[in-house]
Amino acid sequence: MSLAIETIDLTKRYGNIVAVNKLNIRVKSGTIHGFLGPNGAGKTTTIKILVGLLRPDGGRVIVLGEEIRESGPKVQSRIGYMPELPRFPKHLKGWELLDIYGQMYCIPSQERKSRIRRLLEIVGLKGRENDFIGEYSKGMQQRLGIAQALLSEPDLVILDEPSIGLDPVGMVDVREIIKDIARKGVTVFISSHLLSEVEQTCTHVSIINRGVCLAEGPLGDIIGKIAGSSVLEIEVAEGLDKIINIVRDLPFVSAVQVEGSRLIIESHVREDIRPKISRAITEAGGTIIYMNMRMKRLEEAFIRLIRGEDR
Amino acid sequence: MSGENIREMRRLKMTTQLLAIIRYELLWNVRKKKLLGAIAAAFIITTLTLALPVIFGSVYNRPIKSDPNYVISNSGSGSLILFLFALVTTMNSISGEFESGTIIPLLAKPISRTLILTGKIIAAIFTVLAAYSLLYAYLVIGGIILYGPQDNLNLIPLCMLGDMLSTTVWMSIILATGALSKNTTLTTVIGVITFLAANIGTSIISFFTEGAWILHYFPGNGATGYIKTLGIIRSLNLSTGTDNIAKIIIQYMLNPSAHVTYVKIEMGGTQVSPPIFRELYSEPLSLVLFRALVVAATYITALLLLAWYAFKKTQVLE
Ligand SMILES: Nc1ncnc2c1ncn2[C@@H]1O[C@H](COP(=O)(O)OP(=O)(O)O)[C@@H](O)[C@H]1O
Ligand SMILES: [Mg+2]
Repeated sequence: MSLAIETIDLTKRYGNIVAVNKLNIRVKSGTIHGFLGPNGAGKTTTIKILVGLLRPDGGRVIVLGEEIRESGPKVQSRIGYMPELPRFPKHLKGWELLDIYGQMYCIPSQERKSRIRRLLEIVGLKGRENDFIGEYSKGMQQRLGIAQALLSEPDLVILDEPSIGLDPVGMVDVREIIKDIARKGVTVFISSHLLSEVEQTCTHVSIINRGVCLAEGPLGDIIGKIAGSSVLEIEVAEGLDKIINIVRDLPFVSAVQVEGSRLIIESHVREDIRPKISRAITEAGGTIIYMNMRMKRLEEAFIRLIRGEDR
Repeated sequence: MSGENIREMRRLKMTTQLLAIIRYELLWNVRKKKLLGAIAAAFIITTLTLALPVIFGSVYNRPIKSDPNYVISNSGSGSLILFLFALVTTMNSISGEFESGTIIPLLAKPISRTLILTGKIIAAIFTVLAAYSLLYAYLVIGGIILYGPQDNLNLIPLCMLGDMLSTTVWMSIILATGALSKNTTLTTVIGVITFLAANIGTSIISFFTEGAWILHYFPGNGATGYIKTLGIIRSLNLSTGTDNIAKIIIQYMLNPSAHVTYVKIEMGGTQVSPPIFRELYSEPLSLVLFRALVVAATYITALLLLAWYAFKKTQVLE
């Protein structure tokens, strides 16, 4: 599988602060890749280098197969980028901004109009496109930010903390939009400081702290790795007793308990056990009606990983 | 695809992008309250120029005489108008985008920074040209109404170009400062200080020292000289320097072989004796015009190159 983004020993300093420290990340094409790390980890700095706003002090960056250092506009036309808390000229109307940006991508006028109409609908700004951006709330500017990132139908979409400043409904909308564009084969790279957010959208993740990549890979693997063990809660339609025995005999399951109508399954393997559990139960003729990876412990494990690094 | 076609496509693409950035900037310019304020100020100044003789005339009961040269001798905008137009169109066109963070999504678009800066400059020039068109139309119509039919109106477009060139010198100063500092307040302060220095400072140098020639090489108002019409005592006051290109152009068109004489004011020995105007030196008006054009072009080129270099190299830290 080809890579949409690759950084090799990427380094960026602000004076004495090393914001990105020999960072190595690899983002596979066609994935929804989370870029997870606490505030100040170096996510925004890395992203700004990817889109050509900052020059690296060392290392290499390859985006969509091109070295970023010298390419500039050529590869920029294939990237859609939403900055962290984006701000747009307040004297322009929403549609004017999108139309002008579309012109910069050299999208023909008719095509521009139909794309803008569709995007305004997708991001929920329909009916507000003739208002000045100065009258938009922060959340609305965020939505406009997503629309302009998708305008050129890019091969790679980079979203810097897309859910900051959005209300819960907005966050759900964004998640849907992301999954929708990924379905078309677009690579999506999303930075976030919240594991729960990455968990709900991403297929892959890189965890970064102090400018260094701590872990990278498919989401389930990484979760298994940082959690050490995973705890799965499931509920089946019927035949609980039979299912308990089948699950207990699975090689990667270390303990099974019953809590009311639910099974609590513990595993020590460093991978996502959900697909295997699901398959085993289905093959035994059972039907899963509820399944949940215990999030609290994961969030704690993530924080432990970051803290451990800090010490 | 042949190389010819690829080149053609690239050119089309750059034209489209340039149009986009000009539109981006023009929409901002025409919606700026500052610009409307500057245009209003320019109209007030022009109105005063037109109306004051009328008012005095009625006070002293002397009807104003028709004057076919009224418009042409009042053409060429004053330094304040030139500077205000330059300031309101360019003071935040670079620095403001950095301060508000709007530069971040803009620079991530597949458009070169050179093109962005070019578009911003073109948009500012369009805006100022439109303002001058309104202003000169007002002066011409007002002049005809008050002073009767006017001569030499064919020189007005040239005069507007002269004003535009003078304004562009100020725009270049402001753009370069904005690109280097990325701070609108600092840019405005430096612009205003330069303007004051170029207008108050220079008139002191011009009138009271023998160093008037230095002023030919600074932006803004230059030395004040006199054009003596051969044999006739009547002499015409002419300001030189990059702020007065329009006035110099008009004088040159009307009187190509004229000479400009520079003077210095010497105070009399006692406080009561009147100041004496001592002649310093003379030079052809054609030279004065040529030099003003070259100096303006040099400042514009050097400062815009500086602005371009700073903008090209800058990183978006905000
Ligand atoms: N313009 C800047 N000047 C100086 N330090 C900066 C600047 N931008 C970011 N930093 C520092 O670089 C580090 C990484 O910041 P950033 O990339 O914004 O992190 P994140 O996006 O992960 O929160 C932080 O320590 C931050 O303080
Ligand atoms: Mg950030």
